[in-house]
Amino acid sequence: MIMPRGSDQLLLPVNPLFIALSLLLALAFNLLPLGRNPALPDLLALTLAFWAVHQPRRVGIGISFMFGLLMDVHQGALLGQHALSYTLLAFGALAMSRRLNWFTLLQQALQVLPLFAAMHTVALLVRLAAGDLFPGWSLFIAPLVEAALWPFITLVLLAPQRRAPDPDENRPL
Amino acid sequence: MLGTLDRTPPPFFRQGYSALTKLVFFSALSVFLMVADTRVALVANLRPAIATVLAPVQRGLLVPVELVTGGSDYLAGLRAALQSEDAARKQLALQADRVALAERLAVENGRLRSLLELQPALAVRSQAAEVLYEAADPYSRKLFINRGAAQNIGLGAPVINEAGVLGQVTRLYPLSAEVTLLTDKDAAIPVINTRTQQRGAAYGGLEKGSAMELRFVAANADVKVGDLLHTAGVDGVYPAGLAVAKVAQVERQAEGGFARVLLVPAAQADGVRHVLVLEPLAAQLPPRPAPEPELPAKAALKQGSKRPGAAP
Repeated sequence: MIMPRGSDQLLLPVNPLFIALSLLLALAFNLLPLGRNPALPDLLALTLAFWAVHQPRRVGIGISFMFGLLMDVHQGALLGQHALSYTLLAFGALAMSRRLNWFTLLQQALQVLPLFAAMHTVALLVRLAAGDLFPGWSLFIAPLVEAALWPFITLVLLAPQRRAPDPDENRPL
Repeated sequence: MLGTLDRTPPPFFRQGYSALTKLVFFSALSVFLMVADTRVALVANLRPAIATVLAPVQRGLLVPVELVTGGSDYLAGLRAALQSEDAARKQLALQADRVALAERLAVENGRLRSLLELQPALAVRSQAAEVLYEAADPYSRKLFINRGAAQNIGLGAPVINEAGVLGQVTRLYPLSAEVTLLTDKDAAIPVINTRTQQRGAAYGGLEKGSAMELRFVAANADVKVGDLLHTAGVDGVYPAGLAVAKVAQVERQAEGGFARVLLVPAAQADGVRHVLVLEPLAAQLPPRPAPEPELPAKAALKQGSKRPGAAP
């Protein structure tokens, strides 16, 4: 694991169960019936991109494709719309996975923003090509929110790996 | 310190397919699924299978959302509940004599129809259903109801509530169904103007507010703001007489020689909880006649052409 710059800590190895749990929680958030709002951030896409950047061997394009299919069926959308956009998102995240860790969190968020914007734009283009109506410009708030959430999700999902390797009574966790 | 090492080293040789290969493969698969969704039977079964797997998770996630919205209703207090009960009772009383009138008219209608030897009016079977949630897809207007193929809902069944027509069932899953609302881009319904008895077709897909329009209306047609439209009953799907929409705006200067008539749907889809799913009319109409066998004129022609060759 490449040491993040500015941090003097080696990260513990990741627990695959934790990856699965985080992905399932993100899927559960996406499945919440919060109404038909195109500006809602796609937390599942955010989590998939995060793990593709930090664990490219474990979470890659195949898993993103399957979660995209689940999202398509849940939303009643064109079957393959989310699958395609998540596939491209995962590929982009894998491509930038080696260099992203050298930047600070804010710089990472800035680099991840065009990735999410491209993901939403691909889904939009697919639906426009299939003949549906433009859902409104509020669609482009979603990538901004997702990029803004990137630092928080990095801190939350890397927290188990930032524990001490040799816990004692002064540092139990 | 050994705890910081990853448990297994990354493989040197068997590293799997490259990312680009996977990208191309899965993108092609996605595009194939998009195209084959409505055409290939194998793919058409994939969607209900995944939906059945997701169904318990979706129902489970309704609980916290309902706790929050129901909790705020609970906190709004006793007075609001009593007021809404009062309003509901008043409405019920107002409708009581309309119901009695409707029953008398139905009996009279039946007698007149039998007198004129018309076919008896079709009785429509219905099922009550509850709306689970609105589909989160921002490109279409759909609802999910909690009745599905297991409860004998037919594909294309009309869905109504007390205010009027909501839409039609467009996808069936084993435990739920997708209802496409009239305000969706792909929705169309034949209507008849209550005042002028003029038939037309109402389509959806416009912005909020007047989300429907009446298309192919001549610029000098007799349509006024405030006209009520109800179902014509001629399409084999919707029974006649259900409220559909009200005319909100008529522009006669629109291009193409047609008027632009904007409608407001009678049944507002926001906040609807309880709906009625009707059986499509086609299930009760007599079946179409089988196509006739080869016409006798053609057979005679064939015999006629053979005649000169036959022995006299």
